[in-house]
This record gives sequence, C-alpha cells and structure tokens, in this order.
Amino acid sequence: MTDTLERFQQAIVEGDADESTALAQAIVEEGRATPDDICEQLSRAMDTVGGRYETGEYFIPEMLRSADAVERAMAVLEPYLFQQEHDQSGIVVMGTVKGDIHNIGKNIIISALKAAGYQVHDLGVNVSTDKFINAVRETGADLLLLSAFTTSTKPALLDILARLEEEGLRSDIKVISGGASHSEKFAEEVGVDGFATDVKSTLAVCRRMMEA
Amino acid sequence: MAVLEGETPDTVPIVPVIDGYFAPRVIGRANDECYMDGGCLADALMASRERFGYDGVLAEMGLGPDPSVLGCPVEIEGNDVPLVVETLIGGRDDLERIPVPDPWADGKMEPVTRLVSEAGDGYVVLGSVRSPFEYAATVRGLMEFMTDFYRDPGFVHDLVAATRPATLAVGRALIEAGIDALVIKDSFASSSMISPDHYSEFAFPSEAEVIAELGAEVPVILHICRNSLPILPQMARTGAAVLELDGPVDLKAAREAIGPGIVIKGNIDAVAVIEKGGVEDVEAAVRAAMDVEKAGRRFILSTGDSIPLPAPEENVAALVESGRRYGRY
Repeated sequence: MTDTLERFQQAIVEGDADESTALAQAIVEEGRATPDDICEQLSRAMDTVGGRYETGEYFIPEMLRSADAVERAMAVLEPYLFQQEHDQSGIVVMGTVKGDIHNIGKNIIISALKAAGYQVHDLGVNVSTDKFINAVRETGADLLLLSAFTTSTKPALLDILARLEEEGLRSDIKVISGGASHSEKFAEEVGVDGFATDVKSTLAVCRRMMEA
Repeated sequence: MAVLEGETPDTVPIVPVIDGYFAPRVIGRANDECYMDGGCLADALMASRERFGYDGVLAEMGLGPDPSVLGCPVEIEGNDVPLVVETLIGGRDDLERIPVPDPWADGKMEPVTRLVSEAGDGYVVLGSVRSPFEYAATVRGLMEFMTDFYRDPGFVHDLVAATRPATLAVGRALIEAGIDALVIKDSFASSSMISPDHYSEFAFPSEAEVIAELGAEVPVILHICRNSLPILPQMARTGAAVLELDGPVDLKAAREAIGPGIVIKGNIDAVAVIEKGGVEDVEAAVRAAMDVEKAGRRFILSTGDSIPLPAPEENVAALVESGRRYGRY
C-alpha cells in the first residue's frame, strides 16, 4: 500500500473530508492505485469506523463525518475509476426500503460499489416497491441491493420479492439485502439470494453473484 | 401525583408508555386511523387505560402530533410507524420557514382535552412534546442534522434556537388543557446516538431553557431513549422533576449518578421484555426494578419507551399486576 492510500484511509477514519478529497486527487495524479486497492482502503476505513462505534468511541455524527469524507473523495475518484479495467462490473439498483430512512450505510456501500466499478442507480430512502420494480426494469440491473436497517422491514422486503416474481423479473436479477442486523437465517426467511452486513461482505457477495 | 410532591403513595405508581403505537389495537383500529382522528386516539388511550388499569395516561395530540405540527409531511400506512417523508430545512436560508405552531388548530388537542375532562381523580394525564433539539432534527432530517455537528455547528445552534418556540407553544397548550405533568421527549440526544460532549453542546442548554419555563407550571418528565447513563448527571441538572429512563439503563447506576431526590420513571424494556418476553419475564423485570427503586420512594414504574404494537396484551397486564404486587408500601 502506498503512503497516499494509507493516509487516505486515515483521513476517512478521522472524518476529514478536506484531507480525503486532497488525497483522492493525489491518488488520481499518481495513477498507480487500482480499483481493488481503493476498495480495500474504503473497506478497512469503514471497518475501523464501525469498530469505534461499537466500542463507544464514535457515535452517529462521527460515522456521518466519515461517510461525508468518503462521498466527497468519491466525487474526485469516480472519473478515474471508470477509466480503469474492471473484472466484475455490473449494473446495480440500490435503495433503502419503504418504512426506513437510514442512509448512512447505503451511501457508504454505494461509494464502495462505484469504486469497484459497478454502475449504481441510487433510489434513495423510504423507496416504494413500485419504484424498485420500475428501476429494475428500466436499467436492466444485474443486482438489486435492498438496504434495511432493522429486521422490522421484513414485510417491505417480502413485498418487493413478490412483485419481482409477479412481474417476471425475479429470474433475471440477484437480490441482496443488507443491514447491520441481517443474518443468514433472516435472508433465508425473506428469500433473497444473498445478504451483507458491511462494506466487505457487500463487495464479496456482489462479486460472487456476478460470477454465478 | 403523590410521588411528584415528595409523598409516599400506597403503591409505586404505574404509568407505562402507551401511546398511538399500541393503544389503537385495544379498540380494534389501525394506527393510521387514529393518527389522523383525535377522537379515535382519545377512545384508544382511554380504552387501554381502562383495560389494564394503570395510573396515568399519555395524552397525545391528534392529527399527526409532532412532526406535522411544524409542517413536515408525514406518511403512515396501516399500523406502520409514522414516517417524516420531507424535511423543511435545506440550509440556513430556510430557518425562517419554521413556524410557531398553533396546537389548538384543527382539533389537534381533542384527545388531550377529553382525557383531562374524563380523568377525574382516577388517574393522572401526561402531555407530551418534543424538545427543541428533537424538533430541529426532525425539520432538518436526522442525518443532515447530525452531519451538521461537524460541518456547521453554528447552524445547529441556530436551528435548535429556532425550534424552541414550537416546544414552548405545544407545551403551553398542553398545560392550558389541564395536564398533570409534561413529558419532554429528546430521543435523539441519547448516548446511543450522540456523544456526551455533543449532548452538552447542543441538547442540554435548550432542555434546561424550556424546562425552566414549562416546569414552573407542571412537573416535567424528561425522556431520552436507550442509553442515557453517561449524561444522567446533566439530565438531573435540567430542572426536570422526573427522568424517564429506557431499558438499557442500569437503575442502580442511574440512582447513584443522580442522587436520591429526583424521581425515576422506568424502565422495563418495551421491546426485549414487553414485546418479546413472556409473562414471567415481565414479572422478573418488575421485581428487579422494585428491588432497586421502591425503597427510595422516588419511583414510577413504567416501560422505558413506547410499547410496540405487537406486544402481547397479557404482558401489559402482567406489568400492571406485578407492579401492584411488588410495589405496595
């Protein structure tokens, strides 16, 4: 890992958006980092941020500060990343399901997916089933990522999956649900193809689904 | 009221947080019906109190009580939790868009006035209003609001100051309607969400200001969700007569943190115990709370937060029955 990438990771952990943006520019100018390198740093940084939240060192505003540092850096990195070769590019539709307005996790995941070369359509939060269905149809998405912070959103997830079946779209798309409280058991109950709880597991499950 | 006046009642009072999430099911109505119909909400809250026999009822305003009183569009479908779907404040230029609400308009106060008029001496009526900090988060959008803590802390201060008149207007209306005590909710000030330093900087000053004014009229109950243990000494200095503690707070540690004088209202976990537990879990939790707090005579048995819709009715009944059994002086 280069010194610039190391400092980039640290700037995100510290939530220093000015520094993360400047380092993103330096990464572009150096031109050595691959999309995988950048994804790895994003993933490590957010793992550290999540760890600090779990131990009570960080709270929601500190997580948002780091998310902001990622988002602003990605505005600089995106054109650079799209010029790179990608092994696992695909089209992703993502949103937070109806009844849920959490967007921190969704936005961080979207940044990481873009860094990994995916074309991401962000539908926002509190997204209706209709909006998901229309976006899947219009974009020809390979992956549908459903962000749901708590498992109380299960009815919304079930509704989306039922509608995909009804509309004849289910067999053409892989559906992944995500959130800190998700588990293999919950994913099985809902009937999604995969689940993720953080940046690392999201990238891994997306890669696996694209290769399947 | 005896506890609030420093006297010892016959038993520890029981005032669970039963509001528009749980009460409508008692009369077989969906939450969205009662959310927009003050009469429905009043019927539900009274029916729930009569069914379970607790000592105080939380009189919520009707017609989409809190976010919409400031003009935020709110969606609710069936029994879902109301969701603010659009915020008012995109930036500093929008501060003047924050209205001072008229709580008496459009029949919003109907549930409160009905509950007050029908309460008699049988039970106390609590009103409920959001703190300036919580209103500020609502009109700005919680995520943007908390991003502002670092991006523009001055804006956060200005936003909280701009929502203070709303808390005071709603609080004064509830007092005018005749409530016995006022719950000020400051859910987002929780140490499960923001650091104690941010609580001190952004939430505590406005809590103390509105409590100084409204607390001169009726006892104020300050509610902060989930973990409040790290900020309890400060909460005790807001001037609140009662601190409403949520399930995760250890009662013994809480009492040590605030001293013997302030009343604690709490803190049976509404989800882990009342919704997901069994009758025996409820009884054990009530007994444990009484073991810690009953002897100090400054305790109101309650749930830590709103009882969720799916909670079994037998658990709510067990809360009251166990409270009577273990709370007798």
